[in-house]
Amino acid sequence: MHLYAWLAIILPLIGIPLIFIGSRINGVLRNTAAIAFPIMAALCALRLFPLLLHPEQLPLESSWIWITHPFILEIGILLDPLSLILTLVVSIISAIIAVYCLGYMKGDPGISRFLMLVNLFIGSMLILVLANNLLLLFVGWKLVGLCSYGLIGFYYQDDRKYWIGGPEGEAPMTTPSFCGLKALVVTGVGDLIMLGGILILFFFAGTLNFMELYSSAPTWFPEMARNPNMAVLVSIMLLAGPIGKSAQFPLHEWLPEAMAGPGPVSALIHAATMVKSGVYLVARLMPIFYIGRWVANCPDATIFFTITAWVGAITAFIAATQGLVAKELKKILAFSTVSQIGYMWIGLGVAGLTQTTLVAGTSAGIFHLISHAIFKACLFLCAGSVIHTTHSIYIQDMGGMRRYMPLTWLSMMIAAICLMGVPPLPGFWSKDAILLAGLEAHHIPIFIIAIITVALTAFYTTRMIGIVFYGPESPHLQHLQEASPAHEAPAIMWGACGLLALMILVLGLGGPWAEQLLHHNFTVNLAETLKLPVNHAGEHPFNYHLLVTCLSVASILAGAVPAWLIYGSGKIKIQIRANSIFSELYTLFWRRWYIDSFYNLIFIDGTLKIADFVAFRIENNFDTLVNRRLPDLVTETLPNLLLRLKTESENFLYIGAYLMAIIMVTIGFALWH
Amino acid sequence: MLEHLLLQAIVVPVICSPAIILGRRVCGKKTAWIARAGLLYSTLLLLFACLQLAVTSTPLVEHYPFAGPAIKMNLLGDGLSLPIALIINLLCAALSFYADHYIDHRIEAIYGNVDKKTAVNHYTRFYALFLLFPTGFMGVCFATNLIGIYFFLEILPLPLYFIMAMFGYVDRVRVAMICLMWAVFGAGFFLVGSVIVYYHTGSFAIDSIAGLSGTPAAFWAILMFLITIMAKMAVVPFQVWMPWVHAEHPTCIAGLLAVYANIAVYVMLRVLIIPLTGDFQVFSLPLMTLALITMVYGALLTLGQTDIKRFAACSTISQLAYSMLGVCSMTKAGIDGGLFFFLGHIMGKTIIFSTAGIIVYTTGIRDMRQLGGLARKMPVTTVLWIIGAMGLAGFPPMNSFPGEWIMFTGIFKAGLIGSTGKLIIAIAGAAAITLSVVYCFRSVKTIFYGPLDGKFANNDHIKDPPLSMSLPLLAVAATAITLGIYPKFILDLFHQVVSTIPLMY
Repeated sequence: MHLYAWLAIILPLIGIPLIFIGSRINGVLRNTAAIAFPIMAALCALRLFPLLLHPEQLPLESSWIWITHPFILEIGILLDPLSLILTLVVSIISAIIAVYCLGYMKGDPGISRFLMLVNLFIGSMLILVLANNLLLLFVGWKLVGLCSYGLIGFYYQDDRKYWIGGPEGEAPMTTPSFCGLKALVVTGVGDLIMLGGILILFFFAGTLNFMELYSSAPTWFPEMARNPNMAVLVSIMLLAGPIGKSAQFPLHEWLPEAMAGPGPVSALIHAATMVKSGVYLVARLMPIFYIGRWVANCPDATIFFTITAWVGAITAFIAATQGLVAKELKKILAFSTVSQIGYMWIGLGVAGLTQTTLVAGTSAGIFHLISHAIFKACLFLCAGSVIHTTHSIYIQDMGGMRRYMPLTWLSMMIAAICLMGVPPLPGFWSKDAILLAGLEAHHIPIFIIAIITVALTAFYTTRMIGIVFYGPESPHLQHLQEASPAHEAPAIMWGACGLLALMILVLGLGGPWAEQLLHHNFTVNLAETLKLPVNHAGEHPFNYHLLVTCLSVASILAGAVPAWLIYGSGKIKIQIRANSIFSELYTLFWRRWYIDSFYNLIFIDGTLKIADFVAFRIENNFDTLVNRRLPDLVTETLPNLLLRLKTESENFLYIGAYLMAIIMVTIGFALWH
Repeated sequence: MLEHLLLQAIVVPVICSPAIILGRRVCGKKTAWIARAGLLYSTLLLLFACLQLAVTSTPLVEHYPFAGPAIKMNLLGDGLSLPIALIINLLCAALSFYADHYIDHRIEAIYGNVDKKTAVNHYTRFYALFLLFPTGFMGVCFATNLIGIYFFLEILPLPLYFIMAMFGYVDRVRVAMICLMWAVFGAGFFLVGSVIVYYHTGSFAIDSIAGLSGTPAAFWAILMFLITIMAKMAVVPFQVWMPWVHAEHPTCIAGLLAVYANIAVYVMLRVLIIPLTGDFQVFSLPLMTLALITMVYGALLTLGQTDIKRFAACSTISQLAYSMLGVCSMTKAGIDGGLFFFLGHIMGKTIIFSTAGIIVYTTGIRDMRQLGGLARKMPVTTVLWIIGAMGLAGFPPMNSFPGEWIMFTGIFKAGLIGSTGKLIIAIAGAAAITLSVVYCFRSVKTIFYGPLDGKFANNDHIKDPPLSMSLPLLAVAATAITLGIYPKFILDLFHQVVSTIPLMY
């Protein structure tokens, strides 16, 4: 079985040089290499699926020594339920999207670069999820960040048609190259803080291997926690990386701009896979802090879960509000991604707050990760197809697209309904599982925020679908129609969307079974293999399941109905009065709670101002002092003495004399001493 | 062939140097192949020595008389000196190929369209001087006494001075002087330190420095040597020479300038930390603080630059401090990682600087604001720059990644077992890498991304450089990646020496 896991990693990486070579020979060869290797990787991953049916056989590890000095570090893979699930999600969705890319990127002069980056990304992402230790995980982590940078800034020539933001005149626009840099830097901040956390962990635990970290945590965690606030510091530092990568508050501002990349990139990296790596890492680290809290009895360990849950809740809510007013199709989905990942964080956060919610919270968070990966990939691919057809990223330039793109519409409808959490699609099962875990952990404020966010999600999703597919045709589209009629996307593109939509339906119908499978896997993994103390929930005063379902459905209706009446059927016309509370709220959401502006002001403008101050004030003055004034001083004070030595290179001799004097005094002092 | 291997590594370039001058009348520019052949030969010798050392774990020691019983020119090729010498020699060899077109361009730019004979004279003069670099570096690496190190450290500014003055940029003569003065300044303090050692131990041998341990003289000796080292490494407040010197020199020696500055870390380890481990501890926290300040200051300075060569120069200030931070943490991991990062840095900096040279060579423009969009016409150059940027920012699979990882493991260890101040420095140091990421990749955006300026779009000369310029850099990149994926070979060699340092962690 190890072989398949290794192959899954290696195959996409082998594809990179072959794509390059293929591109030099002919396009067909290149395209074949570009999809063959991701598909083979997916097949290898599928070969691992039976292990999930027998979780008691897990974990399996395979590794070899990387360095032996100054300490031993290994490189290896770990097969346990968590890594297996992620491997399946990443490889299968990547393979589907790789196929879609061929249609979407057809004719693009940079297609070879694009395909190589996609293959590198798939290989790196699989390194990340299959790594058996934090070092190799970090390697994958950095590489996916690099691929993300390259793919966001794919249109590096910054042609105006690829700028995002706006619409022009309404909001500032940004170039793809800037967006790529922003993503790299913002996530990089988190990465490097996380590196510090990993190294502190390494100091206390003496290992980076996950299984060893878990098994020895009862010993080293209390020792670490004996240092005042060390557990808190480590929690914060370790979470900084996932917060950045998963675009959670307060490092969430890069993801909306990441939409500058081509559509499939948004689907693959910024919806289905890479942004989930933060969720994955939190789930991977959870047992350590759970042991710290519930086995080693270190109360400080709770902070890890508290931060996770609250970061998730705040992000889910803030991002959803931004989605309400966004005007770019992909940006709505980006805000939605940020928000939905917040849900996953809630699930994982509440999992460690009590001993009764560990398995439920974990499996809920991971279940939502799976369903979100599928439906969001589908949504992004469909959005890509729509943008491809309408030649615009703004929803106001669309409208009535259902007539022209019925197959895309169908797929997108299924995915959108799933996003809203309508039963019986997987979004419903997974989101309700998270809500239930929140309620069972008795974290009522977070539960309330999550319920409100369900309504917001329903609103922005319905608004998006309404405007794009049902509303009146926009002048832009009418203008476009005159040149060439709008049409359905090529078969290779709608085929990929359709396949994902089908997967949504299948997973929805098998939702309870999938949930049960995950629950069983995590029970075996956490409670039996890792021997984490898990209690069963006691009797509740009323049926929590029913309560959550009712509240969830009511919230969906509360959000979807008004949105449909306003944007879908157009039966309600709204006019927001200036200076009203709605107007203020609209501005607040549209300006993204002013967080982005704040960051720009403090971190970008501030850093550049400091840099200018250092370069042009401090350094220039210091340079003048040392390299000009000081020699001048010598030459001016001792002109007569050194006059005889004056040559063309006078400074040389003067400074030489000056330095020699210093040296002689110092030697004299040293000898005397 | 393998007799006197270390001596050969030092002497072969010196022999090649006059051979180039003597042969120029007959062979013209082809005499440059003497330099290249000599450097490839010594690189192979050193590779063989490293492999032999990895197998036998027995250091190479060669004894040569020099000036009486107090000063012997013994040479030591151990786990520390051999891998460092190998990488430096490799860079020298790569740059000897890269320099071919570049130096022609400089001769044309400075001296105009001179006759063929004059051009050959300039060209061969460059190569003859260039070969003094490997001699100096090899000497510093293998010397076993302070006078030897002093001697070879003093050799290095000479080719630097003349090459700068003859082939540098606008302000080259003044900057050559600045460079020489700073070298003299540093050397003076080194000499004072050496004299203190001799005064108390009766020997200049590095082995005898340990005799100072525990005496007050140790403090003064360390201080003197440290001033030299900090001046060489451009640690704040000794950084002012670096932007000038790196900005005005011809970029075909740029990578060697990074080595010239960074080799001070090796000297610090060899002369101070290994023999005076206990006495050096008191300097650990202040030096780490200075290193952190330099990292941040250098990074901010880099961000403020618009000149492509000053950009690379200022980033060197910041990057050098990383190695210093690691080594001064006084942990085995910090030292191993600091040295490995040193190798990563000199390779990354060679690529970045040389690529900057390619851009200046091709476009004739140094102001980054006037560049932009070059990726469209110079894809190989773009790839090289990005690889260099990845190296400086510590991205896998470059060799700076394991260096950074191991080094920070040591730095954090020092913080967790030592003072809170060191822990704060460790966290701040890790966070400061963000600034490296910012300036490295911001430069990619400024130079290569965005719309292509009209003046480049219609200019057929704007294209990737000839293979003789890009291939050596790609070879350096491939070596850096290989060492990033398989760092064990070098780390094991380092460990043969570092494990003998009496450090707790």
